[in-house]
Amino acid sequence: MSARDRILSRIRRATAQGRDEAERREAVRARLAAAGRQTAPTPAGARTPPEARLAQFEDKLRAVDATVSHVPRLADLPAALAHELRARNLPPSLRMGEEPAFAALDWTGLEVSRGPGRLEEPAALSRAWFGVAETGTLALLSGPDNPVTLTFLAETHFVALRRADILPGLDELWAALRASGRDARTVNLVTGPSRSADIGQVLQLGAHGPVALHVFVIDD
Amino acid sequence: MTHLQTSDRFAQNVREALADANLQAALRGARGNFIAKRAKAAALVPEFDAIRDAARDMKNATLADLDLWLEHYERKVTEAGGVVHWAESAEDARAIVLDICRKAGARTVNKGKTMISEECGINDWLERNGIRPVETDLGEYIIQLRGETPSHIIAPAVHVTVPQVREEFRKAHADLPPDRDLEGLDTLLTEARRVLRRKYFEAEVGITGANMLIAETGQSVIVTNEGNGDLSQSLPRVHIVLASIEKVVPTLEDASTVLRLLARSATGQEMSVYTTFSSGPRRRDDPDGPEEYHVVLLDNGRSNMVGGPFQDMLRCIRCGACMNHCPVYQTIGGHAYGWVYPGPMGAVLTPALTGIEKSRDLPNASTFCGRCEEVCPMRIPLPGMMRHWRAQEFERRLTPGAVRWGLGAWTWLAERPRLYRAATRAAALALRAMARGGRLRRLPLGRGWTAHRDFPAPEGDTFMARYARGERPPARQAAAPPPRAQAQDGARP
Ligand code: SF4
Repeated sequence: MSARDRILSRIRRATAQGRDEAERREAVRARLAAAGRQTAPTPAGARTPPEARLAQFEDKLRAVDATVSHVPRLADLPAALAHELRARNLPPSLRMGEEPAFAALDWTGLEVSRGPGRLEEPAALSRAWFGVAETGTLALLSGPDNPVTLTFLAETHFVALRRADILPGLDELWAALRASGRDARTVNLVTGPSRSADIGQVLQLGAHGPVALHVFVIDD
Repeated sequence: MTHLQTSDRFAQNVREALADANLQAALRGARGNFIAKRAKAAALVPEFDAIRDAARDMKNATLADLDLWLEHYERKVTEAGGVVHWAESAEDARAIVLDICRKAGARTVNKGKTMISEECGINDWLERNGIRPVETDLGEYIIQLRGETPSHIIAPAVHVTVPQVREEFRKAHADLPPDRDLEGLDTLLTEARRVLRRKYFEAEVGITGANMLIAETGQSVIVTNEGNGDLSQSLPRVHIVLASIEKVVPTLEDASTVLRLLARSATGQEMSVYTTFSSGPRRRDDPDGPEEYHVVLLDNGRSNMVGGPFQDMLRCIRCGACMNHCPVYQTIGGHAYGWVYPGPMGAVLTPALTGIEKSRDLPNASTFCGRCEEVCPMRIPLPGMMRHWRAQEFERRLTPGAVRWGLGAWTWLAERPRLYRAATRAAALALRAMARGGRLRRLPLGRGWTAHRDFPAPEGDTFMARYARGERPPARQAAAPPPRAQAQDGARP
């Protein structure tokens, strides 16, 4: 018997006692078929009505030390980025993935390079597929359009998010991800810039990942 | 570092911990911090307790069919191109990890924070086989430099003071100018960030733990604040996930339930900074991410807990709330417990995984104040299970002779109420006569207490005797005399 079989049969002996195997399998199948339905209570903070959702999302973002600004249309993103980089005393250069929505923009004036993260990555831009108002969380999907390493290697991480993609809570996020049909290796939920309290139990921003996180909400 | 278990030297460990000025300073600094944050975060969610109930029920239901959930999880991992390895013991896990590392030609392995790795002694094993493990969580990095094991499951370096960190960095980062300024906490953080950043790119294999495994999707989930776990798993060519078998939850919605409790209970955050769901190796067109994805499923004694008196412990999500709220942990720190898992959860889990013979003092290291159970997000009856261990310890005659004799004598007396009352009354009066200024500096058979503090002398007679005489507390009596029937059951002090 393999280690696998020994472990599983030990569990089976301890737990199945008297219960019919077929019935147990059916119970598991039914539970999986019900995926998409939250059986636990949903916090009120994850049920905010649409009109209050944006404000909640932004409040939560600020509470976790992120910053946020609005961009009327996607076409205005390069100008907004150039402005932010200047305001932060950063050079006018930016790393990003092959996101088609970004590729279609006019980046004149900014030095844009594309590909995964490198050792030194002063500023990078990603696209969040969704935002979650419940906790001010961004959901990013890894892929050629959005190299996962950019999310963690950028010193300042910029994230663009369409206003319409802000969802009330985590459970709507799972529904939206299932519906998107995307099969990304990683789904990265990001809630603020990186931090650590491991030195002297004092919280500091910028542990290994970004020191700063800025979200552009695309209103259109 | 490998954990050489010293739980059997608990009393000695405690004495050393109490005498360690640096440790006591660090513990004083951390005290209260976690408690206030958790209380605030929990209060902000009116449904918090109802979610705790739901999480308990969800996990119980999963454990009832754990074999089937694991089978389903394995299938989904395989479908995504990953490989599942089953490890019955720590040795198995070590052998599997080493084998994967060798095949990958690894010389350096980066590690995100994983308690399973501590449980299996992966670092020592790799080192002994010529592979360098690099801990990348800042706290783990600090204790790796110090040659120590974690003293807390979510704040591994909570026992280390800032001057100690400074000293360690000067020693370890010898290539940096020796006269550099390391005064500010920010300079220490920046230095660690810079040193570790380079190391991320050197490793061939990255090892992380898993906060959850999701059966529905075959994903492993890591929850961190630093981002080190993600760099450790997405830069090297091979990603190994170390997870114990009870980490599986059925669906993504169940993951939400756990996530809604985890960060709030642990650090008082609503959500940790990075929650990453990973499945399989990088996809065909991906420019980054690992090319191989392995999951090592560790049993190491857990399947024996299923269906038994300690099954509830398998609901644990390793949030650390029980130790943060434990007066014993707050006083002695984590190392005194002598193995990987400290505090109340360790006092229950360590005997279950390593045997009560080696750790019989741990379930006794409790004041039974009940705070741990009160705050445990998964509603694990920690004090009840510690009591269960105490009973087992007694039944298996592991309790020292003097204690057994004392308990026997007390039982004999307690079963004879008249005699018991007379004896306690005599004792109370005798102690009162021995006292100076209301306190006893020495107590017969009670040196364990009086060696460290005075024993408050009884005020006079016993409660029962005074009650029988019709004495009542004056203030209370004036406000509202307790109804006699209620007072008689002895519920009122
Ligand atoms: S026993 Fe409960 S409180 Fe303690 S770490 Fe586990 S889940 Fe958290």
